[in-house]
Amino acid sequence: MANLLNKDILRQLSEIFKALSRPVVLLFFNDNSDHCETCEQVSQLLEEIASISNMIIVKQFIIENAQQVAEKYGVEKTPAIVVCAQEGENLVDYHIHFYGIPSGMEFETFIQTIMMVSNGETDLEKETIAFLQDLKKPVHLQVFVTPT
Amino acid sequence: MLAFQMAMVSDKVHAEMVQAREFPELSDQFHVHGVPHTNINQGKGEAIGAIPEADLVHEIEAALKN
Repeated sequence: MANLLNKDILRQLSEIFKALSRPVVLLFFNDNSDHCETCEQVSQLLEEIASISNMIIVKQFIIENAQQVAEKYGVEKTPAIVVCAQEGENLVDYHIHFYGIPSGMEFETFIQTIMMVSNGETDLEKETIAFLQDLKKPVHLQVFVTPT
Repeated sequence: MLAFQMAMVSDKVHAEMVQAREFPELSDQFHVHGVPHTNINQGKGEAIGAIPEADLVHEIEAALKN
C-alpha cells in the first residue's frame, strides 16, 4: 500500500512531536474477520506515525487472541485505538479511545490527543476541572463523527 | 477534543471517538444524524454540534440527574 502520510505532513509532524514529553503508547486492536474495512489502513497509519518519533510506540493486537488485554482496556469493537502514556514500566490509561479511522478533521484531533496525553496538560477552564474532579458517577462520552 | 480533555482530567470520564459510518448500528441506536454528536452515558444525554465547554458540562450534569 502507498504511504498514507505525504512528505509535508511527515515533516510537520516531526516538528510537532519534538514537544512530546512522555512516551505515548497506542494500543491498536484489529480483528480476524474481513468485515473490518479500515483495520489495515488504521494499522498502517499508526505505524507511519510511530516511525516519525521514538516517543510513540504502537502495540498491535488481534482482539480474538488478546481478550484479556481488550477487557482490561474496555475495548469491545474494532478497529480500536487506546491512547496511553508510559511512565517507567507502567501504562497510564486515561480511557481515551478512537473507534474507526481518525482521518480528515479527526486526524488533527488524534495528533492533539497524542500531544495532550504525552504532556499531561489540557486547556480546560478551572470551573470545568473542578466539576470533573468532583464527579462521583462515571461519565461515558461517545463522540460520533464522519470522515471529511 | 473536549471529551478527551475531560477524560484526561478525571478517571471517572471515558471518552471515545466513533466513526459513524464504520459503526452504523451504534449510530442508529443513538439516532446520530448530524455530527459531531456527543452521546452521554448511553443515551441519558446528548450534545449536537461543536458546543462550548460550559454547555457540555451542563449537558453532563443534566444527564447524571436522569
